[in-house]
Order: sequence, then structure tokens, then C-alpha cells
Amino acid sequence: MAVQPILKYPHPLLKKMAHRVAALDTAIHTLVQDLLDTMQAGPGSVGVAAPQIGVGLRVCVVDVSSSRHGKDNNHGLLCMVNPEIISRCGLAVMREGCMSVPDYTGDVERATEITVRFLDSQSGLEREVAASGFEAVAIQHEMDHLDGVLFLDRVISVSTGLLRRKSYR
Amino acid sequence: MPHRELTHYAVSVVGADRPGIVAGVTEALYKLGCNIADSSCAMLAGEFAMILIVSHKKPFTKALLIEELKPVCERMAMTLSVRHLPLGEEDRKETLGEICQITVYGADQTGIVYRVTSTLAAHQINIMDLQTKLAGTEQEPVYIMLLEAVLPDGCAPEAVEQLLDGLKQELQVEISVRIVTPVEL
Repeated sequence: MAVQPILKYPHPLLKKMAHRVAALDTAIHTLVQDLLDTMQAGPGSVGVAAPQIGVGLRVCVVDVSSSRHGKDNNHGLLCMVNPEIISRCGLAVMREGCMSVPDYTGDVERATEITVRFLDSQSGLEREVAASGFEAVAIQHEMDHLDGVLFLDRVISVSTGLLRRKSYR
Repeated sequence: MPHRELTHYAVSVVGADRPGIVAGVTEALYKLGCNIADSSCAMLAGEFAMILIVSHKKPFTKALLIEELKPVCERMAMTLSVRHLPLGEEDRKETLGEICQITVYGADQTGIVYRVTSTLAAHQINIMDLQTKLAGTEQEPVYIMLLEAVLPDGCAPEAVEQLLDGLKQELQVEISVRIVTPVEL
């Protein structure tokens, strides 16, 4: 059990593609425990991805069950190894903040419903979860970290986004 | 660098839009060794407006800043204003309440911005961002106002909607309020 320091941008690992996990071994179980400890130590945190604590592997944890946006619609704690989104639909904007980019937030557009397939480190079995609402947003945000993508890469507008239309000729 | 080693200025530049305004102003700042700590630039009608908070390591003076910026602005026929920021004004205060986005639109009439914002101000609702546009046609102009505001502690977004409900009736405009308080992920 160990709370790990959260890497902050511009740490280079945050912009790197993480590697797939080959097998669920002791090292992965320790990594998942570190992610959980780190998530629980972060005030209001609902997820942490391995690259945020300096490990370039495709592992992340998400738990929105105690957050006000996700408490009524969630799958509890998800410990995801090699997660993949196999379907997505809908789009909604949420203003996101990230422990790796402190002080700033930005409006990001994400799918409102997703199905994610992953190796569940708790059961050791492959699992599919259909998530929606805030839980879907949190999963997509954490999975972005596995691809070296920060919310800054996805900010949709620098201002409120009301602009005069161009005339099309 | 700690703030006490830096001196901060609010700089605004406004003038007829053309290519090269940002490049011209920031070149002068770069040559002086100024940092742009915060900025917002926008095209308003045919004018380009720049508002910048710039910092420089002490010792530095407002006169030095103006000396470098003035010729650039004069060359492009832009107005320039520079103000020294007293210590404590250079950082945005952390906001604790819910953040709301309020949209107001309807047939154009005098006083929409004033009536809405004075209602908000009377309830200690602090505006962080505001944009207005005049749209529609010459015959039927439509006024659009988008703003973001921080609610005082304990004030719910529904309460803001209720607060503005009277105005909605009186001015015959649409008003909607939605929470945009950031989520920490």
C-alpha cells in the first residue's frame, strides 16, 4: 500500500502511449493497489491512471460512487487492465479538471454512453461494463491518460463559443 | 518565480482589426523580457481588443513598458492603456461556490445587460466572464448574452433561475441557467 505522487505536466510520461499488460502478476496487483491508494488520497478524485504515477502501463482505476455526479449511476470500483472502448454514443460537454494539470479546467466533449472491455484485476476475468453519465466521462478521461492524451488536447473552445457564422459562397 | 520578485501590469490595446496586431504587441513585450501571465484577445465588431496581464522581474517600471509599446500602438493606430497592479491583484482568487453559465437572449432592447447583471450583483453573484452579441436582422435585432458567474456559498442554481424569472417576464427574454462547476478527474 502506497500513495504515489501524481506526475504533473510537462512530465514526459504523461504524453507517452502506455504499454499493454502481458499478465496479471504481483507487480500489476501492487500497481492497482497504489492507484487505489493514490485515488483515495486525492481530494474528490474519482480515478487515476498508471502513467500519472509514473508507470507506463495500460492500467487505471475509476470509482465515481462517492462523487455527487456519479453516486446514482455507477458500477462501483473498476480496476481496469488493458481497457478498450468497444462502443460509444451520444456527446456531452463537461468542464474537466485533472490532478496532472493543476489549477486549470476546460470544457471537453465526450461520449455519454460507452461500453468498455477490460481485464478486471480484482477477479482476473475479462469484463464488459456499459457506463453512462459521469462514470462514462471518468473512464474516458482516465483511458486518455493511457494514450498520452490530456484534457488540454480535447478542449473544445477557448471561450463560450458563440461566433458569427461565416457566409458560405 | 515567487510573485514578490515580479511586478505586474494590466495592458490593454484596442484598434481597427488587421493582421499583425498580436505579433507587434508581443514582439515589444518579448524584447523587454516581459511574461504574459494571462490574456484574452477578441474581435469585437471591427475592433481587435487585447487585454493582458504581463509580469517582469523587478526592478522594472511602467514607463519602460509604455516606452516600448507606445510606438507599436501608434504605428497601428491602436489605443494603449497600462496600469500597475498592486500586490495581491495579480492572482485570481480561488472560487468556492458553484459556477453557472447563464444565457439570455431575446428581442433587442436597451438595458438587458444592466438589468440582468444588477440583479446578480445585488445577490453577491460574481461574474467571471461575459460576452454579448447583437444578432438577427436589422428589422428584428436579437440580443444574446452569455455569462459565467460564481454563486455565493449556499446559493443553488435553481435559486438564480427564480431570481431572474421576474426579469424574464418583464423583458420578454429567454433566460437559462446551467451548472458548469468543474469535475475533478
